[in-house]
This record gives sequence, structure tokens and C-alpha cells, in this order.
Amino acid sequence: MSKVFKSDYSSEAVAGFTHRTAIEEAARCLLCHDAPCSQGCPAGTDPAKFIRSIRFRNTKGAAETIRENNVLGGSCARICPYDRLCEEECSRCGIDRPIEIGRLQRYAVEQEEAFGMRTLKAPERTNGVKVACIGAGPASLACAAELAKAGYLVTIFEKEEKAGGMLTYGVLPARLPQRVVDHDVAMTAGLGIKFEFGKKVGRDVSLDDLRKKGFKAFFVGAGLWRAKRPDIPGSDLNGVFTAVDFLKKAREAGGVPEIKGKSVVVVGGGDVAVDSAVTAKLAGAEQVVIYYRRTLEEAPANMDEIRYAISIGITVATNFAPSEISGTGRVEYVSFRGRDGKSEAKVAADAVVFAIGQDPEDMSWLTGVKLTEKGTIMTSRNGTTDAEAVFAAGDIVNNGKTAVEAVAAGKGAAFDMMSFLGK
Amino acid sequence: MAVKKDLSINYLGLKCENPFFLSSSPVGSCYEMVAKSFEAGWGGVFYKTVGIFVADECSPRFDNNSKEGLRWVGFKNMEQISDKPTELNFENIARLKRDYPDKLMVASIMGSDDDEWKKLAKMAEQAGADMIEGNFSCPQMSNHAMGSDVGSSPDLVRRYSKAVTEVTKLPFIAKMTPNITSMEIPARAAAEGGAAGISAINTIKSITNIDLENLTSMPVVDGKSSISGYSGAAVKPIALRFIAQMAKDEKLKGVEFSGIGGVETWQDALEFVLLGARNIQVTTGIMQYGYRIVEDMISGFSHFMDEKGVSSVDELVGGALSNIIPAEDLNRDFKVLPSFDEDRCIGCGRCYISCYDGAHQAIDWDEERRRPKLNDNCVGCHLCLNVCPVQECILPGEIKFKEGRRAGDVVIKRHYE
Ligand SMILES: Cc1cc2nc3c(=O)[nH]c(=O)nc-3n(C[C@H](O)[C@H](O)[C@H](O)COP(=O)(O)OP(=O)(O)OC[C@H]3O[C@@H](n4cnc5c(N)ncnc54)[C@H](O)[C@@H]3O)c2cc1C
Ligand SMILES: Cc1cc2nc3c(=O)[nH]c(=O)nc-3n(C[C@H](O)[C@H](O)[C@H](O)COP(=O)(O)O)c2cc1C
Ligand code: SF4
Ligand code: SF4
Ligand code: SF4
Repeated sequence: MSKVFKSDYSSEAVAGFTHRTAIEEAARCLLCHDAPCSQGCPAGTDPAKFIRSIRFRNTKGAAETIRENNVLGGSCARICPYDRLCEEECSRCGIDRPIEIGRLQRYAVEQEEAFGMRTLKAPERTNGVKVACIGAGPASLACAAELAKAGYLVTIFEKEEKAGGMLTYGVLPARLPQRVVDHDVAMTAGLGIKFEFGKKVGRDVSLDDLRKKGFKAFFVGAGLWRAKRPDIPGSDLNGVFTAVDFLKKAREAGGVPEIKGKSVVVVGGGDVAVDSAVTAKLAGAEQVVIYYRRTLEEAPANMDEIRYAISIGITVATNFAPSEISGTGRVEYVSFRGRDGKSEAKVAADAVVFAIGQDPEDMSWLTGVKLTEKGTIMTSRNGTTDAEAVFAAGDIVNNGKTAVEAVAAGKGAAFDMMSFLGK
Repeated sequence: MAVKKDLSINYLGLKCENPFFLSSSPVGSCYEMVAKSFEAGWGGVFYKTVGIFVADECSPRFDNNSKEGLRWVGFKNMEQISDKPTELNFENIARLKRDYPDKLMVASIMGSDDDEWKKLAKMAEQAGADMIEGNFSCPQMSNHAMGSDVGSSPDLVRRYSKAVTEVTKLPFIAKMTPNITSMEIPARAAAEGGAAGISAINTIKSITNIDLENLTSMPVVDGKSSISGYSGAAVKPIALRFIAQMAKDEKLKGVEFSGIGGVETWQDALEFVLLGARNIQVTTGIMQYGYRIVEDMISGFSHFMDEKGVSSVDELVGGALSNIIPAEDLNRDFKVLPSFDEDRCIGCGRCYISCYDGAHQAIDWDEERRRPKLNDNCVGCHLCLNVCPVQECILPGEIKFKEGRRAGDVVIKRHYE
């Protein structure tokens, strides 16, 4: 992520490339043989190929490569942890610094949109076999796309009113503008995929109902939607949020009016914690402090994001874990205990956001599917579960990783589904 | 689901899957290379020039020209024709034609007298080549009876073209040297000798760099070097000019052109097509980047046709020719003032420097705001637009008619990359 200043909650953080600057950056690419960057992308987006297309003035071809390999290419371009994936692998690191692969990907997808390209089209012939995908997050969208390309009739059931999963309801819009997610979803839908929103499978409709309606196989990409609250006194007070609720609220309302000018404590050390803190700050909170129970070096959050948070006035306090929240009816104070077992702190706060991880919702409605102790779904290779015709991938299986890994797993599961259905 | 158009085109009566061919050079000099290029998508090959003479090459033999950060804008080579036995080359051509019947095989040949030309032409026909190209243009042959010395003599071009076309029915293409003022003259001579096609350009005689260690030019061969052929992106403008002039030449009507020189992208290829080429050849782009560049040539060309609603490459051939007119016929009644986008401007001041030092002192520099301001000296040359580092920050703006000239509609360019 660049150092461009983020001015308000929903305005974009990083400027994109122009045609000229994109070609300049693509000209830095060494056009490697057996390109390491392409091997570094879990979803097989094939950066080496699309960068080459940009370099040789075939931007539309670049957009096609991205979209055909990764239906969420626009979103991934914004939020992938490249520094641990393609860009880390980039050969150019041996000379100076990696190619800005994410930004080039963003450029190509922006051009796809600007040209009104219809990169993905429904196949001319379908095979008449109905399959259902549960959830409209990255894993499901990627799975649905592969199935639709192969001619299956795919319906996605989604409990919320919009597709995108955590990309729509979680990730900070300054990092991932909603229109980028919407464009990815629209391109995917172009494959002829049907969406049923506001339908929670297991509550509003059962798997058996769907079987009766003729669905022959099921993909579960339900993600992790139950936020953890710590088991400490006061965690039910007004003003205590879980990160998922807080971010979703901010996303839906375009901000969080009640924290304007207030003091907010965020608990956690991952990207979700940083996103929550940045959201609070950009939404107008006077003071935002992240408390993390370990050290910064141990924090899973992206260092650039932490640096950015600090640069906009967020404080990060480490080695403190919350022990109690107090106040009359509402949050007034949060108490912490130090990792050393001796230190203690009590700070005044108007709101507390817990970003200490998400858990799966109750998956017991998936009869026959084996769950882990934590409640995530157990699968064999490529998303095959213990129940016949039921497949799963993404956060609900890997316990929460990244969007691109969800895409990769969703694609993989689609191939297992097809070989099952082909039997 | 990628957009893919039918890029096929007839060249000299033969159907080519697409107009993109390897030009005669090391990129098409053995069976495996050509086979790989066909798999990558190239429509055909002008096989490395075969002679009776077998080259004895020097080492090293390449150099490149760079500008600032950009390496290899131009490429220099000191290679001659094939260094493989004549028979082996024709065997390769025969095998390739057998294994890839839908691809076009052009045998490039070079003799040193009538007999050699005839002999080579017959061997090419026997090998099953689809066409023959006469190499009248290698600028670094070690024998003056061959190469660009021949190509700059219309008499020899006519004579050897005739020698070839007398012994074969295969279409004959004469490959021209750019080391000449007016290419129409040898091209007409080739047509008179029976050539059905003209390809241009071969490499330009050059000295790329002087080596300060050895006080010779590059590359250094035992402390010495030679003047030799220049190719690659840097030569494209020169090649385009030759193709346009020949395509506009009345005496060359009916001759089909193959454009060569600096092609790397679909857009480069399209430029040649718009100036009248029905066939495109590439060497340096492949030497630098590999056969794979054809993927984006095919895809990009398809997208262009898709966007413009063009259904065959044929429709594009020569599309820009009528708009290339003599300098004396240009409309000189107006000037187009540059318009500066203050929001896009980053305040570097390069426009100011260039306009002062290289144009007409027409930009005043606002030191406070770090922004250019146009004054009345502007002549509309657009040096500033060329130098500005920000895309579309300076664009053509107001059109001003000169004193006493009649105002009318003026067509201008609106989008710059
Ligand atoms: C704040 C935050 C920041 C993040 N930042 C990044 C980042 O920078 N980079 C990155 O790569 N990843 C990031 N992630 C992680 C990324 O968003 C997830 O890994 C990814 O979205 C997982 O995709 P998924 O499809 O498995 O699940 P989800 O995205 O969670 O989608 C699951 C979908 O299923 C729906 N659903 C659930 N149960 C049912 C049901 N029973 N019936 C119908 N629908 C149902 C849900 O409503 C949801 O739409 C972040 C996550 C969060 C929360
Ligand atoms: C290394 C090298 C060897 C070449 N050998 C031949 C040759 O044997 N016969 C020939 O007709 N042209 C030869 N050429 C010229 C090319 O075919 C071509 O006309 C020229 O390089 C311009 O095209 P380009 O810019 O795509 O390279 C050679 C060029 C290079 C760079
Ligand atoms: S590894 Fe880096 S330099 Fe090599 S092709 Fe990929 S982006 Fe280009
Ligand atoms: S158009 Fe030419 S004269 Fe006018 S401002 Fe630009 S550089 Fe100067
Ligand atoms: S060259 Fe372009 S960016 Fe630089 S000062 Fe002039 S107008 Fe502005």
C-alpha cells in the first residue's frame, strides 16, 4: 500500500495507474521465463501473462487473463497481501524492488470496466444440471464461476442483501471500494449465475428442500460470521462491538455517527483490528487506541497497514489484554492486564471494538458433514466433505485466511464437484 | 472466452492464418525454432537466408542502443546469411512444410550470380516452399556481389529477380535495403523483373556505440568492429516511411507489401497494415522477448477489430494512406494552442524549459504556484505537449486562425497516451 493520505472514510486510498504509468511499470517487468510471480499467486491469476499484455499494449487481453483466472481479480488487486505472494516471489527483487503487480492488476480491471468489456459470458450450451452455492463470498463466487463456465446451472443463496461476503461487509472501503466488489460480482454474474438474496440456508431453506428442487450438488462457502467476544465482565455493555458488526455497520451506513469525537479502544492485532481502528478514526473518532496482547512483531496484521494507522494518529499499545469493561449501562472504562503479569491499566473509552477473530456460525444443519472442534468444516483435498454431494471451501474450511486463498479453494472445489457430478 | 477474430489474410494469393511472420534471421533458422514459433501462433516464416555461400560468423556480433533507463531501443547485428549447409536448410524447410501444412514457409535466398539465384530458387521450389524471398539487402556481407550492394543497384535487382522468376512459378518477394534514398526505384526494378511482392526493410547501416576502452565501435571483435545493420523499435519510423512511399507509388500498383522493422506489438503491426502492408515480419522483437509476443499481437489485433467492428484484416490495409500527403499540401492556416490541465499538472516545469530553450518562450512560469501560463508567443508547435511527463495534462486546445486566413473546420487529435 502506498503512503497516499486517506482523507475520509470512503474515499480511495491509493491512486491508480494511467496508461502511460502502467506501461512504464510493466516495462520494469523482466518478462521472466517460468515466472515466479505467477507461481506465487494461489488463485492462478497469472500476473506474468497479464503484465506482458500490458507491456505490449494489449490491456484488454490483460483484463481477460485476469478475469478468466480469478473472477475476483478487481478485489484481489486491492487487498491481496502481495508482499507475501506474487510480489515477494518477483525476480526483480534481485535487482531493486518488485513490480507493482497489484496496481497493474487494478489498472487492467479498471480498463475492463471503462471499456464496458463483457469478459465472461454464459456458455452457449448448458448441461441442465442444477447446483447450489451457499454464500456469495469469494469462495462461492469462484466456485460458481467455474461451474457456470462448464455449463452447470448455478444458483447462489446468500443470507445478506448483497454479494461479496466479507469484501462487502468487512474490508475497509478505503482499501476496497464497494464499486470494485460490485464490478467483480457483475462480471461473475455475466456467466449466467442466479442469485437468491436474503436466503439463509439451514434457516430459511434446508438442504433437503434444495435437493427436492433438483439441485444435484452443494458448495458451502459460508465464511466465519460469528464474532468472538471475550468472556470478561462488561462485554455486554452498550458501546461494545464486535469487529464484524462494527465494520458491517460502517459499510452499510457509510460511517459510524455515534463515535464522532469519541474515544475508541480496539482489541486485536490482525488486519481486522487495523481496519476497525482506521474505520473508527476516519469515521471521526477523536482518539483510537489498538490494544494487542502480544508484541508488534508477533501481530499478524500487515506492517504497512499498521504504519499507515499510526500515521493517521492511531496509537498501538502492545502486551496488554483486556480484563474488564465497566460503566453504568454504557462503556466508560476498559481495564487491561499486562503480559508480564504485573502491569495494569485502566483507560476511559466510549466504545470498544473486539477484533479477536471470527468463528463459524452453527453448521450443524449440514447433516453428515464432519466439523472441527471450532465448528469449521472438515474436508479432504479440494473441498470434498463427508456428506455426499456436499463440498466446502474458503474461510469456513481454512478458519480464516485471505480472499485470494478463498478464490483458489473455491476453484479447486468446483473441479472436485464436477468430477463427482460427472460420475 | 477471450475475444479472438479471424485474422486470416491472403498474401500473394495464398491464405495466411494471420499476417504475423518471422522475418528471415536467426529466429527462424532451424527446424525446432520454427516449429516452436508455429505452436506459439505465428502464421508463417521467412526462413533464415540460404545461399550457396555459407557464412563464417564473427564473435561477438550484437550490440544495443539505450536511452536513459530504456535498454535496447535499437539493435545492431553483424550476422550474415545462414551458417548452416545449404542442403540442410532446404531439408528443414521441407520437413516444416510437411509437418505444418497450414503455415506458410517462405524460403529466403541470396546468390552471387544468375546461376546461384536460379539454383537456389529451384531448390526452394523442390523443398516445397510456398514463396521465395530474394535477400537483396543484408548490409554486412563480406562479398560485394551479395547483399545491400546488390539491393541499391536497380539493374542487379531487376536481373536477379528475373533470374529467379524465370525458373519458378512460386511468388517472388524482393527484400529491400533501406540504405538508399528512394526505395521505389529498386522496387520498381524488382517488379519489372517479375517480383510479385516487396518486403521492407532489412537493417540500416549503423554504428551504435563507440567503445571507449578500445576506440572502436561495438561490438568489439578482436579490437575492431564494422558498420552493420540496425533494427528494432528505433527503426520502425523509417520502415513505415518506406512502406508508405511504395504503397503510394503508381508504378507499384498491384505489388503486395510485407512490412518489417521494429514490430513488437499489435499496434506496430497495425501501423504497417494501415500503410498498405498485407504481411508483417518480425525479428528483433522475438530475439529480445521470444515467440510469445505473437499472443498479444493476435489478441490485441482482435480486440481492435472487435472494437471498430472490422471483420477482416483486408479492410484495414492501406487505411491511413490517403491521409499522408506532401508537406506542401498541409493546411497551414491555423495554430492549435496547447491547453494545460492545472489539476493534472504536477509542477515539474519541463514544458517551461523546453518551450524556452527549444521553442518560442511562450510559457511564463508562475513561481509561487509552480504552474505554466501560456503567453502570446505560442506558435502551437506542441513541443510542450511532447515533453510533459503527465498523460493528457497538456492537450490540444484553442484553434487560432492566422491573420487573413479563412476559418473552417479543423480535425485535431484528442487522445494521447
Ligand atoms: C475486516 C476484514 C479485513 C480483511 N482484510 C483482508 C485483506 O486485506 N486481504 C485478504 O485477502 N483478505 C482479507 N480478509 C479476509 C477475507 O475477506 C476472507 O478471507 C474472504 O472473504 C473469505 O471468503 P469466503 O467466501 O470464504 O467467506 P465470506 O467472505 O465470509 O463469505 C461468506 C458468505 O456466505 C454467506 N453465508 C454464510 N452462511 C450462509 C448461509 N447459511 N446461507 C446463505 N449465505 C450464507 C455470508 O453472508 C457471506 O456473504 C479480511 C476480512 C475481514 C473481516
Ligand atoms: C541478427 C539478425 C540477422 C538477420 N539476418 C537476416 C537474414 O539472414 N536475411 C534477411 O533477409 N534479413 C536478416 N535480418 C534482417 C531482419 O529480417 C529484418 O529485416 C530486420 O531486422 C528488421 O526487422 P526487426 O526490426 O523486426 O528486426 C537479420 C536481422 C538480425 C537482427
Ligand atoms: S517475477 Fe516479477 S519481473 Fe518476473 S515476470 Fe513476474 S512480475 Fe515480471
Ligand atoms: S505549443 Fe510550442 S510555443 Fe506553444 S507553449 Fe508549447 S512549446 Fe511553447
Ligand atoms: S510539463 Fe506538464 S506537469 Fe510539468 S509543469 Fe508543464 S504542464 Fe505541468
